[in-house]
Amino acid sequence: MIGRRQLFGAATASVVLASALEPQLAQATQQEALAAAAQLDKTLAKYPRGVDGRLVRLGTLHLESQHDFSMGFRLVHNRLLRQSSQQAFQRLLEREEIDPATPFTSDQVRDLIGKDPMIIMASKCWLANQRFMWKALQDHFHEHEDFYLSQMDAADKVGPGTLELAPTMVVPDENRHEIHIQPGGYVGDPFAGHIYHHGTNSFYVGTGMRTRNDQDQVHIGTVSRLPLPADGKVRRILDYGCGMGQFTVALKERFPDAEVWGIDIGGPMVRYGHMRANQLNVGANFAQRLAQDTKFPDGYFDIVTSYIAHHEMPGDVTLKVIEEARRLTRRGGVYYPVDFITGGRTGTPQGMFSRWQDHRWNNERWSMEYHAVDFNAEIAKRGFQHISATKPALPGFGARHFVRA
Amino acid sequence: MTAPDKTRQTFTVEAIPTDLTNGAFFGNAAVDNTVSCLVALGTELWATQRRLKVIEAVMATKGITPQMIEQYVPTAEQSAEWERDRNRFVDMAFGALADDGFRPASAEFPKR
Repeated sequence: MIGRRQLFGAATASVVLASALEPQLAQATQQEALAAAAQLDKTLAKYPRGVDGRLVRLGTLHLESQHDFSMGFRLVHNRLLRQSSQQAFQRLLEREEIDPATPFTSDQVRDLIGKDPMIIMASKCWLANQRFMWKALQDHFHEHEDFYLSQMDAADKVGPGTLELAPTMVVPDENRHEIHIQPGGYVGDPFAGHIYHHGTNSFYVGTGMRTRNDQDQVHIGTVSRLPLPADGKVRRILDYGCGMGQFTVALKERFPDAEVWGIDIGGPMVRYGHMRANQLNVGANFAQRLAQDTKFPDGYFDIVTSYIAHHEMPGDVTLKVIEEARRLTRRGGVYYPVDFITGGRTGTPQGMFSRWQDHRWNNERWSMEYHAVDFNAEIAKRGFQHISATKPALPGFGARHFVRA
Repeated sequence: MTAPDKTRQTFTVEAIPTDLTNGAFFGNAAVDNTVSCLVALGTELWATQRRLKVIEAVMATKGITPQMIEQYVPTAEQSAEWERDRNRFVDMAFGALADDGFRPASAEFPKR
């Protein structure tokens, strides 16, 4: 995708250069400048505020600035309020004479945290910021509903990749929650993909990762570290629970000759993912399907992967998905589901405090169930060999390199 | 902007709403609402400040530099008007800090 700044730069440079060259060459260069300007007009018609690398700029300066505040607030919250909240929790543990190394449950956390105003203030402010961020984004896309729906309508049938939607599919209840308190969740708002994309861009700077992801840096980096099958053959790849497809696109970019599929239960998510892949001229395929019932043939994929999808599904569904991955991965193929390191039903008091806040106030509805599953052991039980020496593809997350036996 | 076509297919299903919209952290919804207002005000204030930065940057390309804005000296009339505006703003934003003599909301009118 050509950036607005790049386009301006190209046009200006061409015109300057043209004036210094022979007339014939200058004419050709001027034509290039005109072509670049025409391309700019086309881009601006599609994206009124242009694009910044891989990211379509938000529709208004005001919205972009609101979002900028939200990102800044997360940074400050992480640096100050979260710290003071954790210190307050530590004081509570001392006051209640609780050993900081003792195994703690989420119920014990809940009993404690209402007792300190610093914890309450930190939680409240975080939640308020999160709510405003989503609301500002949702309001904008709905205010300009026709414009954004028309873009998706036009993109649905266009390549290079394909899109399969399932309007009559029965979406299981477990997938209908408003994860991250995103209004409408992944299935209930026609702009779920737009909203998720821009909203989660601010997540990365305000978490332990402390990095930007507006150019898909995290997804591209994770894909670059994914291990390959021993025979080096990568003809087909599946990314299940792909959301709006950042990981899927990064996979297709690393393996341009492979048939790459991104599937997700969220119709609006795969719709946006397909449109965005087209914008980036990446030929990944998207389909609205369940991760535990993908409809692909046995042994179809050389690599089956996912990006932080499992903590968004119930524990029993995770087991079904692993079973489906076993069916789909060809012998010698790689299975690598990227997600958090699972921690069991208990943890240190501080660890459980952080986990509970994310679970409850970020509406990570299934995260506690996810942590209760011994993920690596469950995969190993289902026909996969764990390659334990591999470093995590996403630093700080679980190392989940498995090979289909 | 044309009116949206409500018959359009959007591939959505009804979501299960979060119960957090009205989460009372402080045990008093009014306090929670006040904190929400402060965060919202911060959002809007920064959006305005950022817009001013963009305006100054655009103006600079037209010959009006940030230095010219910094060095601008208001006229006496402007100074007086701006001081009145400032005082109104401070009174509006912070006057409530001086409120006292609170009575319970359920209290009867005082007897004459």
